[in-house]
Amino acid sequence: MKEFRLFDISDFVMDEDFIRWVSKREKSDNDFWKNWLRQHPDKHMVVAEARRILESIGTEQASVSDHELQSEVDRLLHTIQEQKELPSITPHRTSINKWWYAVAATVMLALAATAVFVLHNGRNAAKKYSYDLIAPSKGLIENVNTSEKTVTVKLPDGSTVNIAPHSRIGYTNNFDNGETRDIYLSGEAFFNVTKNPARPFRVFANEIVTKVLGTSFRVRSFEKDTVIQVTVRTGKVSVYSQTAAGTDIKEIAQPYHLGGIILTPNQEVVYQKEKEKFQKVLLDNPLRIRPEPPEQTMLYEDAPIEKVFREVADNYGISIVYDNDILKKCTVTADLRKEPFYNQLVLVCKAIGASYEIIDGQVVIQSNGCE
Amino acid sequence: MKESSQRLEAVLMEGLQHNDEQSLAALMKLYYADLYNYASRFTKDSGLIKDCIQEVFISLWQRRETAGTILSPKYYFIRAIKNKVLKSLHKLNRKKVSDELQEEYDFFHEFSIERVIIEKQISEEKADKLRKTLTLLSKRQKEIIYLKYYQYLDHGQIAELMNISRQSVYNLLHEAIFKLRSLWHTEFVTEY
Repeated sequence: MKEFRLFDISDFVMDEDFIRWVSKREKSDNDFWKNWLRQHPDKHMVVAEARRILESIGTEQASVSDHELQSEVDRLLHTIQEQKELPSITPHRTSINKWWYAVAATVMLALAATAVFVLHNGRNAAKKYSYDLIAPSKGLIENVNTSEKTVTVKLPDGSTVNIAPHSRIGYTNNFDNGETRDIYLSGEAFFNVTKNPARPFRVFANEIVTKVLGTSFRVRSFEKDTVIQVTVRTGKVSVYSQTAAGTDIKEIAQPYHLGGIILTPNQEVVYQKEKEKFQKVLLDNPLRIRPEPPEQTMLYEDAPIEKVFREVADNYGISIVYDNDILKKCTVTADLRKEPFYNQLVLVCKAIGASYEIIDGQVVIQSNGCE
Repeated sequence: MKESSQRLEAVLMEGLQHNDEQSLAALMKLYYADLYNYASRFTKDSGLIKDCIQEVFISLWQRRETAGTILSPKYYFIRAIKNKVLKSLHKLNRKKVSDELQEEYDFFHEFSIERVIIEKQISEEKADKLRKTLTLLSKRQKEIIYLKYYQYLDHGQIAELMNISRQSVYNLLHEAIFKLRSLWHTEFVTEY
C-alpha cells in the first residue's frame, strides 16, 4: 500500500493511481479518494492543487471514426490473406532468406574475383581488402544480417555488435586467443568493446582499420559507397589506412598503443576511397558522454570562461581550444542546462563576444578578449 | 479494469501465436486510437499514419511465432509506430536515416485548455498565464507529458522510447510540474 499521506503535490501528479482517478473518474476510485480525504483532511489543498495541474494539461485527441477503423482492419486482413499466397511469408522465411543470400554471396564473390583478374593492376588494387575476398581465405565465422532491422550479436570476448541491415561481420576462430581481436566488416555496425588494453580490438573495413582498446564506436563501410565512416560514442579509437604506403600492420597490433588518426567521442572520420584521404569532423548532434549533471551545474553567473569551457568539453568529450591569456578576463552568465551542444557554444560565444570554428574535429575559439 | 484489459491483451497475443487472424484484428481495434494519436504528434499526414499502422501490424503478424517475447504489447506498438513514422518522414525528406544518433524530430502537442477554462471558470488573465506556461515547456517535456498522461507509459518505458535516462525523465517531468505548480499555487493562496 502506498503511503499517500507522505505525498507532496509532485508525487500525486506523477502517481499512476492518482492520474487514473482524475482522468477516468471511475466509481471505485472516487470512493477510495473520498474516504481517504475524509481521513486526511489536512491533505485537501494538496490534492486539489495536484488535480488542477493534471486537468490543465488536457490535450485535443485526434479521433478515428468507427467506420474508418473498420476499413483499416479489413485492409490489414486483406493484406495478410494476400501474403499467405506468397511463399516468402511462410514460417520458414528466415532460412529461405539465408539460403538465398548464400547463393547471392557466391555469385557476387565470383563477380568480384573476375573483376580483379580483368583489372589486375587498375585502380581496383583496393579490392584486395574487400570483405568478399578475405572471408573465404580466412575461413571466417560469419554473422550476416539480411533483415531490415539491426541485429545484436555477442562476441566471444563479451563485446557486442549491432549489425545494421544488409551488413555482415566475420572473425576467425582464434578471435579470443590471439594477440589481437580482429573483426572483418562489410556494411555498417556499432561496436561496444569490452576493455582489454593488452589485446587490441581491430575492425577491418575495406581500406581502413579501426583499432581500439575498449570503447563504443560505429563503422560504416559499404562496398558501393565512396566513403568509409567511423564514429566514436565513448572512449578513443585510432583509424589507419591499409593502402597508404608505410602503414605497418604490425604496428596496429601493438597493445597499449594508439597511432594513426585518433578519434575521440562525437568525432567522425570520413575516408574518401578515391583520394585515399581522411577528414575529421564533429557530429551534427553530439551526445553527452556523461550522465545528465545535477541541477545546479551548467547554470552560470559570472563564471570564469575557463570553467565553462571545461565543463562543456567534459560533458561531450569534445576538445575546445582557446587562448587562455586572451580570454582570462572573460566571464559568462548563462543558463546552458537544457541546451544542446551547439547552442551552448553559441550562447557562450555571444556572452564573451567571440566566435567559433570547427577545425579537424575540435572547437577553436576566436576572440579579442574581454575588458 | 486494468487487470481485465491486461488479460484481454494476453489472450489476444496468445491467439496471435496460434495464427489467429481475428486476434490480430482485435489487437488493431484495441490500439488503433492510441497509435493514431501518438503518430499524429509527428506528422499531420493521415494517409502516412494509416500506412504506418498497417505496416506495424503486418510486421507483427510476420513475427507472430515470437510474439511471446513481447512483454508489453502497448509499449511494443508505441515504439514500433514511432520508428515507422520517423523513418517514413525521413524518406520523404530524402534525409539519410542514420542511427540512434538521429534524435531530431518535431513533436506537436497542443494543450487544449478551453475545457479547463469553462469547467473551472478561471479568469481570462489566469488562462493567459496558463497558455504562456504551457508554451514554455520544451518539446521533450511535452512528449514526456503526452506519454505519461495520455499513453500511460511508465518512466522506464518513456526513458527507453526517448533514448534518455530514467533520471532525466523524472527531472524533465518534475520541472514541468514545478512550472505549472507555481501558476496554480498563487491562486490557491489567494482563494483560501
